[in-house]
Amino acid sequence: MEKILITLNINDKPCEVMVYPNDTLLEVLRDELDLTGSKESCGEGVCGSCTIHMDDKPVRSCLTLAMEATGTKIKTVEGLAKGDELSSLQQSFVDHGAVQCGFCTPGMLMSADALLKINSKPDEKTVRKAIAGNICRCTGYTKIVKAVAHAGNSQDHCPDCITFSKAKE
Amino acid sequence: MRLPRFEYIEPINFEGALDLLYIHKDNAKVLAGGTDLLVRMKKGLLKPKIIISLKALKELSYIKKDDSYIKIGARTSIADIIASDLIKKEACALFEACEKIGAVTIQHYRGTIGGNILQDNRCIHYNQSAFHRSGRQPCHKDGGKICYARDASDRCNSTCQSDGATALMALGANITLVRKGTERIIDLDNFYTTDGIMPFAMESNELLKEIVIPIQGGKSSYKRLAYRSAIDYPIVSAGVFLKSSDTSKNEIEDARIVVGAIARAPIFLAKASSFLKGKKFNDISAFKKAADISMDNASTFAVHNVGSTLEYRCAMVSEMVFQALKEAAIVTQE
Repeated sequence: MEKILITLNINDKPCEVMVYPNDTLLEVLRDELDLTGSKESCGEGVCGSCTIHMDDKPVRSCLTLAMEATGTKIKTVEGLAKGDELSSLQQSFVDHGAVQCGFCTPGMLMSADALLKINSKPDEKTVRKAIAGNICRCTGYTKIVKAVAHAGNSQDHCPDCITFSKAKE
Repeated sequence: MRLPRFEYIEPINFEGALDLLYIHKDNAKVLAGGTDLLVRMKKGLLKPKIIISLKALKELSYIKKDDSYIKIGARTSIADIIASDLIKKEACALFEACEKIGAVTIQHYRGTIGGNILQDNRCIHYNQSAFHRSGRQPCHKDGGKICYARDASDRCNSTCQSDGATALMALGANITLVRKGTERIIDLDNFYTTDGIMPFAMESNELLKEIVIPIQGGKSSYKRLAYRSAIDYPIVSAGVFLKSSDTSKNEIEDARIVVGAIARAPIFLAKASSFLKGKKFNDISAFKKAADISMDNASTFAVHNVGSTLEYRCAMVSEMVFQALKEAAIVTQE
């Protein structure tokens, strides 16, 4: 079994990497490219913590072969922020206290980001459906749902949104 | 979890894939979305030498209407099926089933309908890690001679938990299997062999090309019961199809009731289906009776191997069939 050279387009940067045919995309991202934002937890497509975007659609990187990812546009959680500035979704997670242990957060962010691209003002039900494939074992879903629904869409009745927008001013 | 080693081949066209299957046969496995195959490989249940990826075969992803048939390419993603108005209108059961597969926003872009109906049978004793299985004798499906689900059983009792298969069988779908040089069409009733170890009447050198659903003008519905609303397999499911007669809109001319996730294959319940023929669409008691017949007939096949108690699952067959019938009837009358 020999390693094969493939080119992956990750966060708008082409990366050349040597992989075995049985390497999953997650293993390549974490072990070869040091993009350790995506997490491995169940390894069988149940928990959602390895979620990344392929061509703007959320997929499980633990069930995607690295070889299958060639020729697609890959975005990991590291690609959400612009430099030091967090995206509005990430900021909203921070503001609303939606991060507890943080293990599910990268997956949650990627699933939510894909939703916000097609629906910028989702209601609670839509958000819950969108993150149905992500499991949070701290069970802090309420705050995550709130953070996604209020990302870039701050609500007057939400104390978290108000406190932080005032603090910024 | 690491995948076992294999050689990865990406044929550039359909003929290329058939050639590879012809050469490698049992040594090769076809990879479409990978949401079922790779999980089984990670658990050491499968160790193919060669993986044939369908990544480049875009020609196998389509949904089209051809006279009175809907044709779906085997590699069509679950997300495409959910987004299709044609499927929603003419094959509602399939739409409802696809919505329930995996998790709405994640696996749907990679999971394919072909992969869903060809997903291997499952059993709580078999679909476990290599470490778990190493602590005991192998079961029938693992190459041994024991069944942990049913004492002293001489055969494998794994359960077919595919959502798509139950819905498609209720819709009376056919599938096209292609091997190098020939092509054959088989209906789903005959495709599922009710053998737990090899659940499909399919040769190792064959490739699923398309699924053909006849448009019969009736209404269909799919209901399922699972522990969780996402990323879970059903523990009971029911797909039904009802068609009104040409002369009277309120009379059932044709009915098909299929129950899934209870036996080694989705089961078409002929007795319950024929009971409904000639009944009225607003006859709730007839639906109740048909659901009870379904439960009686399906219970004989049920095995305690996908979680939950057997009694509960059997009781829920009746409920799922009843709900599906009621929904199909309401849609018909609108």
